Amino acid sequence: MNEIARDPAADLGRLERLEGIGCARKRREDPRFIQGRGTYVDDIHLPGMLFGIMIRSPYAHARIKSIDTSRAKAHPGVHAVLTAEDLKPFKLHWMPTLAGDVQAVLADGKVSFQNQEVAFVVAEDRYIAADAAEMVEVEYEELPVVVDPFKAMLPDAPVIRDDLAGKDVGAHGARRHHNHIFNWQIGDRDRTDRAFDAAAVTVSQDMLYPRVHPCPLETCGCVASYDAVRGDLTVWITSQAPHVVRTVVGLLSSIPESKIRIISPDIGGGFGNKVGVYPGYVTAIAASIVLGRPVKWIESRNENLTTTAFARDYWMTGELAADTDGRIKALRVKVLADHGAFDACADPTKWPAGMFHVCTGSYDIANAHVSVDGVYTNKFPGGVSYRCSFRVTEAVYLIERMIDVLAQKLGIDKAEIRLRNFIPKDKFPYHSALGLDYDSGDYTPALQKVMKAVDYDALRAEQAAKRADPDCPTLMGIGITTFTEIVGAGPSKSCDILGIGMFDSCEIRVHPDGSAIARMGTISQGQGHQTTYAQIIATEAGIPASVIQVEEGDTSTAPYGLGTYGSRSTPVAGAAVARASHKIREKARKIAAHLLEVSPDDMEFDLDQFRVKGDPARAKSMKEIAWAAYNNVPEGMEMGLEAVDYYDPPNFTFPFGAYLAVVDVLKATGEIKVRRFYALDDCGTRINPMIIEGQIHGGLTEGFAVAFGQELPYDEQGNVLGGTLMDYFLPTAVETPHWETDFTVTPSPHHPIGAKGVAESPHVGSIPCFSNAVIDAFAHLGVTHTGMPHNAYRTWQQLLALNIAG
Amino acid sequence: MKITIDKSLDLALSPDLAWAMLNDIEGVTACLPGAKITETIDETHFKGTVSVKLGPATVSFKGNIEIAERDAKARSLHIIGTGSDMGGTSGASLDLHAVVEATDGGSRLSGKSDVTVTGKVATFGARLMNSVSDVLLQKFFANLAMRAEALQAAQPLVATAATENVMSLPAAPAAPAAETNLNALALAWAVIKDFLANLFRRTKAT
Repeated sequence: MNEIARDPAADLGRLERLEGIGCARKRREDPRFIQGRGTYVDDIHLPGMLFGIMIRSPYAHARIKSIDTSRAKAHPGVHAVLTAEDLKPFKLHWMPTLAGDVQAVLADGKVSFQNQEVAFVVAEDRYIAADAAEMVEVEYEELPVVVDPFKAMLPDAPVIRDDLAGKDVGAHGARRHHNHIFNWQIGDRDRTDRAFDAAAVTVSQDMLYPRVHPCPLETCGCVASYDAVRGDLTVWITSQAPHVVRTVVGLLSSIPESKIRIISPDIGGGFGNKVGVYPGYVTAIAASIVLGRPVKWIESRNENLTTTAFARDYWMTGELAADTDGRIKALRVKVLADHGAFDACADPTKWPAGMFHVCTGSYDIANAHVSVDGVYTNKFPGGVSYRCSFRVTEAVYLIERMIDVLAQKLGIDKAEIRLRNFIPKDKFPYHSALGLDYDSGDYTPALQKVMKAVDYDALRAEQAAKRADPDCPTLMGIGITTFTEIVGAGPSKSCDILGIGMFDSCEIRVHPDGSAIARMGTISQGQGHQTTYAQIIATEAGIPASVIQVEEGDTSTAPYGLGTYGSRSTPVAGAAVARASHKIREKARKIAAHLLEVSPDDMEFDLDQFRVKGDPARAKSMKEIAWAAYNNVPEGMEMGLEAVDYYDPPNFTFPFGAYLAVVDVLKATGEIKVRRFYALDDCGTRINPMIIEGQIHGGLTEGFAVAFGQELPYDEQGNVLGGTLMDYFLPTAVETPHWETDFTVTPSPHHPIGAKGVAESPHVGSIPCFSNAVIDAFAHLGVTHTGMPHNAYRTWQQLLALNIAG
Repeated sequence: MKITIDKSLDLALSPDLAWAMLNDIEGVTACLPGAKITETIDETHFKGTVSVKLGPATVSFKGNIEIAERDAKARSLHIIGTGSDMGGTSGASLDLHAVVEATDGGSRLSGKSDVTVTGKVATFGARLMNSVSDVLLQKFFANLAMRAEALQAAQPLVATAATENVMSLPAAPAAPAAETNLNALALAWAVIKDFLANLFRRTKAT
């Protein structure tokens, strides 16, 4: 940070020119997006490009008796029809998943989920491909289907993965059943059990976090182009982790990574859906290599919603032990995790349930134990983090719901019980019972600020009055969450993907005219990296943000990074940006000292220049220094002004927030109106308040969607019933409530600029807040839980069951 | 998704004649709008096609029909059908138990069937499945009754031929073509009528 005390008034002009940290700078990305000038993967058109379409199974579980491609191959304009048999010679019919499992690229003898990839048709254009796809005749023999993870673990349940026969050890330890993937436990079971035995009060609650989908506006897709003469492969792909894709493609294809170029162009939303590698990518690449022509593959909406990376599907049982004052003594959690037919979860290798162990939340809980079982079912694979850090949404949902269940049992106010259990400020850094080291937090003032802003006591009084009135047409509910997130994966000692540590990187080159280009290992999908990274450089290296070009997503130019998901860009890559900026600044200090013929120790950094201590008139601007870097550097110094930083964070960051929702349930229809939503977030140092607010609005809106409408239900035959936007709720401005936002600032002590992540907090924090509000509306009637989504029909059923509808 | 259809139809036919009619798979199939037998493999195995309009989409299934059990004494049939649509995006199966019983006025044909659909039809057509199958079934029964009448008219020719075995039937006049080809507009109207009627019923119930 800057070394001298400033006079804000005098610095204002220069600060405004810099547009550094804290400035509500307008997003640099937006002009091209709002003018339709973005370049998404489907905007890529190459000469001679072909189009591929996937043929998928209508059955959730079936043996493939035969595939007849002859009619499709004979269709004019068709170049190839690939099946597993065609990929076998290249060993491309199966591929590794991020979770240490394997997944069929094209079904190898049987299908295990509806819409599984069976064959790939490549034709002149997508219309011919679609026609030809209908000519491929596949004969199936149906097998019994299991979509319920509890039934999947019964002794006589159908075997979903024939290929794993005899393997009683998987990537995460022992498997105790043919449909079992792993059991993962953390915490001290004996101590926790003893705390439960000794406790005055215990509560238990089953809850399902239903299967949902990130549903980005842009579906997944790629354009693969193999140049047989040069032997190199270029793939444009909608990826949140282009370097990881390059490594996977290298492993699969045996092409050296130096000859593979992965380009993530503009991305129309990711939210976790675009982290993994999907069969369509592999088949498009294989087809391009075989045919020697570029091949494009773009998912339909239905394909996106029913085959590529879902989120959640966690069947959780939470238990709390407490004293009669509501002080929590222990937490016990059991989870049955439905991973679908292949384990394609995106989690750090060591943690098959991600960071679910942040489930002790913002509370000082001395004893805790968690046990998670992963299970195969005849559903599509995934288990990614939908706008959250790895499995943090599930964890926060569990603890925030359990606190309410405990409060109801004890008759304690739901705000008061939180205040009684918060980790006190003086206990940070805090070592949790499940082994995490919370870097910082200050929860009490955050909740109190929210309670004051909404006049909490008045709301509770209004609720009491309405409950006393039998003729009141509505039920009023107040929901509170005081969540802690864990983001910024992560320290390489605990986090890796495919063995690669989860560091991130930044490379900055300052040009002779003082402008600069910065390249990152991350990739923006709406987070505004081009805007915010430039602001960090502006403050830390004194170069105006307006002359900084930020580039991401091209593996041939960007330094290796693990990508953007789990709110890791600011905590990890943002730190790399700050540290690379510091390296630039330190070199600039030496050049400035050389130009002014003083010792570098006598120079002090001042916004956009170096000046001589005690003689502020003698100064060199960063612009002058940049010019000198290319013609007049101190003896022995390399020319140029550039820096690279690979940042391996020492810890995660722990943003937190206090949210409050007020809902009115209409007794006549079961409809729920969100009357008020107040969101206070603490993400440490705030780089761009306007982008933060935009991200919070987006996250709250997606949280609203999950709580009130999104789900991918299955029927017994394994049909996905939510696979279209007729059924899958995507809120627009019409349905979305009004959001009120607020903040406190508790900087991360270990991050170079004190920043945490923010874009996922509103999703993680709002969903249990909505549920808590809806359930609170029914709390006086003895209801402790109702499942999501809280749609009108389900709420209506609840009203009927309680005999209060109408 | 799976729907169970349990219906019965009174026929002015002797039980033996009704049983004979039921055993004429091709003839019975012809009564189902949009369905036909395309190949008779042997006495108990057939290939056939069915075209159904579900909302804006027409789905054509082709598949195999097997008479899994035929009990002439009890006059009961167990038919299993499996098929998939021509585009390979949907699958369907049928498990039908049909029985002919004697009644005062003649006979009663009862059928209980489980129809299971998978794939696109289930995804896009689930809401319409019940209404569409009801309408189809009504048409089917109307056609079947018409066929029974025709058989009744031809009775003297065949009455004595009734045996324990399946008898060969004289060529009964085919049901009018207009009835076997499901009129899209009529079907849509029937479905909408059914939907509105349901709405009305629900409103009254509350």
